[in-house]
Amino acid sequence: MNGSIVRYILGQVIKIEGILLLLPTLTGYIYHERVANYYLIIAGVSLILGGLLTLKKPSNSVFYLKEGCVITSLSWIFLSIVGCLPFYISREIPNFVDALFETISGFTTTGASILYEVENLSRSTLMWRSFTHWIGGMGVLVFLLAIVPLSGGSNFNLMRAESPGPSVGKLVPRLKNTAQLLYMIYFIMTIIEILILVLSGMPVFDSITLSFGTAGTGGFGVRNDSIASYTAFQQWVITIFMLLFGVNFNLYYLLLFKEFKRAFSMEEVKAYLGIVIVATVSIVISLNRYIPAFADNLRITMFQVASILTTTGYSTADFDTWPTFCKLVIVLLMFSGGCAGSTAGGIKVSRFVIGVKTVSKELTGYIHPRSVKKIQMDEKPIDHEVLRSTNVYFLTYTMIFVISMLIIALDKEDIVTCFTAIAATLNNVGPGLAMVGPSKNFAHFSDLSKLVMMIDMLAGRLELFPLLIMLNPTVWKEIITTSGHKKKKL
Amino acid sequence: MFRSKKKVEKKGLKIIIVGCGKVGSTLVEQLSKEGHEITIIDRNSSRLQNLTNLYDVMAVEGNGASFSVQLEAGIEDADLFIAVTSADELNLLCCIVAKRVGNCSAIARVRTPDYNKEANYLREQLGLAMIINPDYEAAKQISDILCLPDALEVNAFAHGQVELVKFKIGEKHVLNGITTSEIVNKIGSGLLICALEREGEIYIPRGDFLLKSDDIIYFVVTRKNSKDFFDKINIKTNRVKNTLIIGGGRSAYYLSLSLLRMGVNVEIIENNKERCEELSILLPKAIIINADGTDEGVLREEGIERAESVIPLTGIDEENILLSLYTRQVSDAKIITKINRINFKDVISKMDLGSIIYPRYIVAEEIIAYVRAKSNSKSNSIETMYNLFDQQVEAIEFIIDTKSAVTDIPLKDLKIKMDVLVSFINRSGNIIIPNGNDSIQVGDTVMVVTKQSGFHSIVDILE
Repeated sequence: MNGSIVRYILGQVIKIEGILLLLPTLTGYIYHERVANYYLIIAGVSLILGGLLTLKKPSNSVFYLKEGCVITSLSWIFLSIVGCLPFYISREIPNFVDALFETISGFTTTGASILYEVENLSRSTLMWRSFTHWIGGMGVLVFLLAIVPLSGGSNFNLMRAESPGPSVGKLVPRLKNTAQLLYMIYFIMTIIEILILVLSGMPVFDSITLSFGTAGTGGFGVRNDSIASYTAFQQWVITIFMLLFGVNFNLYYLLLFKEFKRAFSMEEVKAYLGIVIVATVSIVISLNRYIPAFADNLRITMFQVASILTTTGYSTADFDTWPTFCKLVIVLLMFSGGCAGSTAGGIKVSRFVIGVKTVSKELTGYIHPRSVKKIQMDEKPIDHEVLRSTNVYFLTYTMIFVISMLIIALDKEDIVTCFTAIAATLNNVGPGLAMVGPSKNFAHFSDLSKLVMMIDMLAGRLELFPLLIMLNPTVWKEIITTSGHKKKKL
Repeated sequence: MFRSKKKVEKKGLKIIIVGCGKVGSTLVEQLSKEGHEITIIDRNSSRLQNLTNLYDVMAVEGNGASFSVQLEAGIEDADLFIAVTSADELNLLCCIVAKRVGNCSAIARVRTPDYNKEANYLREQLGLAMIINPDYEAAKQISDILCLPDALEVNAFAHGQVELVKFKIGEKHVLNGITTSEIVNKIGSGLLICALEREGEIYIPRGDFLLKSDDIIYFVVTRKNSKDFFDKINIKTNRVKNTLIIGGGRSAYYLSLSLLRMGVNVEIIENNKERCEELSILLPKAIIINADGTDEGVLREEGIERAESVIPLTGIDEENILLSLYTRQVSDAKIITKINRINFKDVISKMDLGSIIYPRYIVAEEIIAYVRAKSNSKSNSIETMYNLFDQQVEAIEFIIDTKSAVTDIPLKDLKIKMDVLVSFINRSGNIIIPNGNDSIQVGDTVMVVTKQSGFHSIVDILE
């Protein structure tokens, strides 16, 4: 275990957070809020702390996937702990566990809240809440790779640990340029959304915070009723942008370089759009039987489908009051999630595509026992490793899901609440059903349950393995032994 | 906020490398260090995986000669295309396709002796920038060393007018216990010590430096004076008279060819009967022995104790090392060990294996010299480049074709970086071993020895 590189990168992450904290500080000063001072102090402290940690450059900058996973998990944990301090110190969220829950929910782009009222929070805090979505959406380590000159090729292990999807590739040969490209696309799309919303007459503050929430597929709103009180046009804009941010970013890269044919033949994106259409149509038909208002139903359904599928978690209607069929479709969408390589959470469409293909291959294997067939995606054979890790992912996912559900069931909530609370946090969606429905929140859970859900949110955002590897006792032993002993000099 | 880099990052070249074997991986390692944008192509996905884990490169799986694979790797705006797969024909095909699709320079590895004779013809006809042949390069270096058996390594510069010699100072050697500035008085000018290794530390000696026994030094000397100097400092100048080569592969063939031409008696031990017959046709003057070269009895029978030089060239590195160690035990022969594959350089350099040759580094050096020259805005200002002491020191020969901050100023007045030494100036064929009063002029070629890496042009030597 290369301890010094872990320290160095953690320091860089904290430094970056210090800089990012200046945005809510600025917001606070614009609105003349005293809370801004807390943000400024914490920004300063994290800059100093980060500076101290990065004072000494590591002599050996080579690290492997194992270190990459540890660095990623620790970065996210530290990021959340530092990020929750303003909430806690300003007493806007007086309970530390709640503050941490809210921050982790923000960074992991879950959007599950423990707050009953958001409208009486200060503007700085609302801005920071939404900004954590934006930071967490593309990933803070990808950001780090884009701006900090880290030498050596090992950094790919960081990107691999942080980026969603069964296999992570580069867009261009240099990792730094890849990260910059990703952030550029992300940034420009966010700006476009902000502009459209502002032009449609939404207040600037709301446009910015809601766009941050959409871009990171987070889900923290600035009004108590989430998005319901905005105009129909604004709801459509947010719907479309939620869907756009749930698409694999490789598509935008390909469009940027005018490779339209390859861009539009991406199987995952096709499957993703297919899911959107099927889910919307079936819910609209079902809803129309109760309330025959097609245009409204379409808008509301489309919004809910986009919001849940991309794991954003905004809401314009309380789908908890919908018929059971519609509720079930919504719950299923939670598990699907967006495309790999997007900012969305969930299991990811590409894993399902691979899963379905594996099943059909196995079935053919029963009919033609000697048949040989390699599973392909986008006209490329899928590596056996990817298949294996996809299957393991499903299994691990189920295990974590079941264990978490059992633990929070100790809280005497009903089955639907337990099930959807875990589905909403592990998939980084936000709202679930029943006691955690769109109009409710997560405050009523015990601290233990909240802790479990925090771990689930991190596990969901980092795609399970980095966190599990960090929690592995062997890795811990290595961290402890290498920090104790100096390595033998060659 | 973040430590800004002093130097603005030089925009690297876009390089595509096909084949990730020994040479391919070495190239990836070295070129990625120099900041180029590298894409690698190979059919074997696990090899690609290994390299992308370690270096910042993009991998494309597939056949490097295929048009669509090359497109995916971005051949259209690539600057350089290097084909180093195991098959010569595939390499050539890759380059031909690449030249048609993109506007890039192409380098191919061609190893088979059949093509080697026609290398120049092939290069010109196919419009390639370079054809490289690791086996041949290794053989050339081995034969250079055999001409000066006391040296550990001999590299030629300035079209062979200057030699860079690696040498270990023995207990009773004249150089033991004198300082670098005394050399001029005691032995005469015209010899300059460029780099020195003592107990694992590398020094570029400037000014006064006391030499001790067991130091390993690199010095430059002009070929004209070399015989005198070598006599004065007790280095045997007689080339070896006979050589025992164990293993009859391609390098053995190339080596024998050049040794036989110099009149050295060559004996090759090869296990494969058919190969022996082939060799006996190709090398009628050599003695070909069909036996197992790793058999102690065979080696004794063939007189390993009396051989003046023994060169194990089997395909297996471990065998070569063992054979060298064995030879060291039973005879005083000059030993040269070729290491193809294995890494453990630290361990290898501590063993008593005589001179050590790494073919993959020799080719990598050539290609990197080419790449550096290409990425430099001024055309072709690096003539040759060698790595000394396991890449810790570079010796680079620059062509000075324009006026710059270093020209026409006496060296003593230039602010030259620490650990950089100007070791000779070639002024239209006249070799000057410079002192502080000499200056660099337009039209010269200059060799610089440095511990820093990544020099692209002569002005990089300044602070």
